[in-house]
Amino acid sequence: MSQPATTLAATKSRHARQGGLKIALVFGLAIVVALIAPHLFASGFGLSLLNRMAIAIVFALSFNMLLGQGGMLDFGHAVFFGLGGFATMHLLKWVDGGLPLPVALLPLAGALGGAFVAVPAGWISTRREGTAFAMITLGIAELAVALVVMIPQWFGGEEGVSGDRSGGMPLFGFDFGAASQIYYVLAFWALIAAALMWGVTRTPLGRLANAVRDNPLRVDFLGYDPARIRFLTFILSGFFAGIAGGMQALNDEILTVSNIGSQASGAVLLMTYIGGVGTFSGPIIGAVLITLLQMALGTLTDAWQLYSGLIFVAMVLWAPGGISGIIRSHAPILRGGLGGRLLAAYLALLPAALVTLAGIIGLAELAYRLQAVRGGGKPGHLFGLAVSPTTPWQWLIPLALFLFGAALLSRLAPGARAAWQEAAAFAAGRRGR
Amino acid sequence: MTSALSLRGLYKSFGPTSILRDISLDIAAGTRHTIIGPNGAGKSTLFHLITGRLRLDRGEVWLAGENITGLSPHAIFRRGLARSFQVTSLFPRLSVFENLRIAGMRNAGCGHAFWRRLDGFAELAEQVEEMLTLLELGPRRDVAADALAYAEQRALEIGLALVGGAHTILLDEPTAGMSRAETERTVTLLRRLSAGRTLVMIEHDLSVVFDLADTITVLADGGVIASGPPASVRGDARVRAAYLGAAAEVLT
Amino acid sequence: MQEALFVLLNGLVYGLLLFMLSSGLTLIVGMMGVLNFAHASFYMLGAYFAYTISVGLGFWPALIAAPLLVGVLGVAVERYGLRAVHRHGKLAELLFTVGLAFIIGEIVPLIWGRSAVPYRVPALLDFPAFTLGGIQYQAYRLFMMAVSVAIFAGLYAALARTRLGLVIRAALTHPDMVAMLGHDVPRVFTLVFGAGCALAGLAGVIGGNAFTTTPGMAEALGAIVFAVVIMGGLGSIPGALIASLAIGLIQTVSITLDMPLGAMLGHIGLPLDPHGALGQITIAHAAPAVPYLMLVLVLALHPRGLMGARAD
Repeated sequence: MSQPATTLAATKSRHARQGGLKIALVFGLAIVVALIAPHLFASGFGLSLLNRMAIAIVFALSFNMLLGQGGMLDFGHAVFFGLGGFATMHLLKWVDGGLPLPVALLPLAGALGGAFVAVPAGWISTRREGTAFAMITLGIAELAVALVVMIPQWFGGEEGVSGDRSGGMPLFGFDFGAASQIYYVLAFWALIAAALMWGVTRTPLGRLANAVRDNPLRVDFLGYDPARIRFLTFILSGFFAGIAGGMQALNDEILTVSNIGSQASGAVLLMTYIGGVGTFSGPIIGAVLITLLQMALGTLTDAWQLYSGLIFVAMVLWAPGGISGIIRSHAPILRGGLGGRLLAAYLALLPAALVTLAGIIGLAELAYRLQAVRGGGKPGHLFGLAVSPTTPWQWLIPLALFLFGAALLSRLAPGARAAWQEAAAFAAGRRGR
Repeated sequence: MTSALSLRGLYKSFGPTSILRDISLDIAAGTRHTIIGPNGAGKSTLFHLITGRLRLDRGEVWLAGENITGLSPHAIFRRGLARSFQVTSLFPRLSVFENLRIAGMRNAGCGHAFWRRLDGFAELAEQVEEMLTLLELGPRRDVAADALAYAEQRALEIGLALVGGAHTILLDEPTAGMSRAETERTVTLLRRLSAGRTLVMIEHDLSVVFDLADTITVLADGGVIASGPPASVRGDARVRAAYLGAAAEVLT
Repeated sequence: MQEALFVLLNGLVYGLLLFMLSSGLTLIVGMMGVLNFAHASFYMLGAYFAYTISVGLGFWPALIAAPLLVGVLGVAVERYGLRAVHRHGKLAELLFTVGLAFIIGEIVPLIWGRSAVPYRVPALLDFPAFTLGGIQYQAYRLFMMAVSVAIFAGLYAALARTRLGLVIRAALTHPDMVAMLGHDVPRVFTLVFGAGCALAGLAGVIGGNAFTTTPGMAEALGAIVFAVVIMGGLGSIPGALIASLAIGLIQTVSITLDMPLGAMLGHIGLPLDPHGALGQITIAHAAPAVPYLMLVLVLALHPRGLMGARAD
């Protein structure tokens, strides 16, 4: 309390230096990972997975700039992503036609396109907050889709607009035609965009966005117009979503209406929320994980969409902080050396959870295969067993598993929750003393 | 000399219910003014009218010689008027330090910058650290506001109004719910920080009122029934009848 | 001239159907502050339930049973889903309904298939009610109109005359106050949510066969219903009525106008190249965009919607 001001200031600046060092380390590590990754996943599938992840990371971070940082749920975020992509694509076509610009710089056009569209959209939507804001963005998204469909001259109608990324000026001898080459362009933009978005959270506007998220009324009485803060944040977010769209344009070399539609907007909400909206790293975790799951499970099962919906609802119900929230709430427990006790409590849940999961998967797969059979397809195998969805008793097994598992889980869950709360309280108490 | 705050014939009603009638009041710059009155007298409504939270039906509000009637809350703040709330209104997920820093940003010239580091505003950070010490919240600097104890939240609530350096400060029941000792600390803090500024507060604790106030206005039933220095208000028969009652006997 | 009358009648029917959907959502948003993203999914479920019931028992039992089933489902969703996420805040509530809409949208085609089901207008009402200038008007459409008007009248009477209606109206304007008056707010919420879903289900029952019953019907109508609720002003039933009718009429009328924008704007003296990308769009082409264009216009002029009551 009565600490002399000089030592106080010195402590603070040492804290700041340590913070800066930590951030430099994290970004250094990210660069190293970005450089090593393509050598670890050098297959065509691996590279296309990495490229998608890079795009998803930027898109999800731009989405969380609104949702997590500013408390704004944008149901039409793909509008800025997609229209930024279209802007990039048109420029790419000019580049193909001889405009002397390096292809690697084109995502910037996406950024400008995204921000440009975000100005009128934000002007309408950011005057409201909360639920009303979310609904207005939904209307704007529908309007954007309708307009894009209406003007095939600009947006290519059903076929979309396509270009050729290798048709431009080579840079240092690379034409970026190969997936392994475009990867470095995408990784570069992902790192730059992530670093910039992290930077924004440390600026006056970034902090004001948090303030407006938490208590817009009070912000108004501290000299700032909350609507103006939302508006500026919205434009910035559109800017970064546009970069992601530009990356998408370069990666896929084609853009269609589906890139601006509700599915794309839903996907970014899904990955951001599952990763966690409460931290900067949450959307990154979500983007990496969901992209991976989508590409891995998407080829294995038709039920991927249903599973992702179920995961999402489960997260909303039981882990609103997402994966990063789970990590954050367990970090002090692990640091406090209480992980062992908690692990035992969690392990006790595991069999019940697995049984429930098996039941859900069984039911979903049977349902999807029933549909396939009706359509004249083959039911195939599940867990190595031949399935026949038209046989009623085959439904009873997963149903029984699900009911039994769920009943068991609901009996065991309070115990695990109590163990967690106890450990968290203990860890907090230990740190506080 | 222009008044720091001048209210000219304010009227406000909600539907058919008249809340405030013909409120006129001049508060001299650099003084400490207290508004007292029984519950439901319209004190908080009056603050809401002055700060732009609610719209006036009739009348004008002047701040330091400028008509601020009908301006939005943020525009009024920019003209030098800050306020606190009766119901604590903080940024619950942000740390105590960040809460105070946000309150100081406008007057530190941060604007809406998204290209400058917030930590780069060294003077602002110093102001905030100083305020943390004054509020005795130094050890709680990095704790989220919603994790604070009630009295700490009340202290922070006052801090948000004081940190920006506004020339006129409105505090709505700053000591509500505080213990004797906490109230005394707050009075000392307010005495110290109101030097050179105009302080207007709503207060129920009469010992605080008579300790701190240069002038007192008594509001009852939507109207001003007395206004002036403590001694004259204390002696006013209507005030005794309408409000002070037995409490006044104790104080005299 | 007769054609214009028919277009207007169809617009009116469509508008009233929109109102049946949006009135339930308006009550839910107004009282609970929860935008039920799955509202149109309940509309879809109403249509599919009605189809399944009508195959076995016929249309009239379906008219009663399907909305009740949907209402029960709504009660369960509120009681075991929404109430659980309530403590995580408004955003979590909204996202819960988003996930729910998504899951319903996946499960419906699993049960009933991806293409439209043959849910038909009951034979009893499948005759021309009147003929004007050689065009027949189906009796079922008049029935739809009658049901919509009856619902509106019933809702109005219930809100104006009953004690529960009084509580609901109070909660629309002062959501925080009602709990203080000692009413069991969670129970009122459950009731309103269930009733709102049942209304959506009823709209599905009478709309599903007039239009088509497909897995895409929720998404197609969902966004329009949100546009109606916002445009009318959150929590305002009269606002929802005006916005529903306006969108219903304008959208139905605009589908029939195939004049290109370039030519039309030329008539009122606005220069737009009739051969450019924008000039060639016809009004009918632009019809899907009309509700959202109206929404954006209304909000640009009136941020709170036509008759907005709630601030959030």
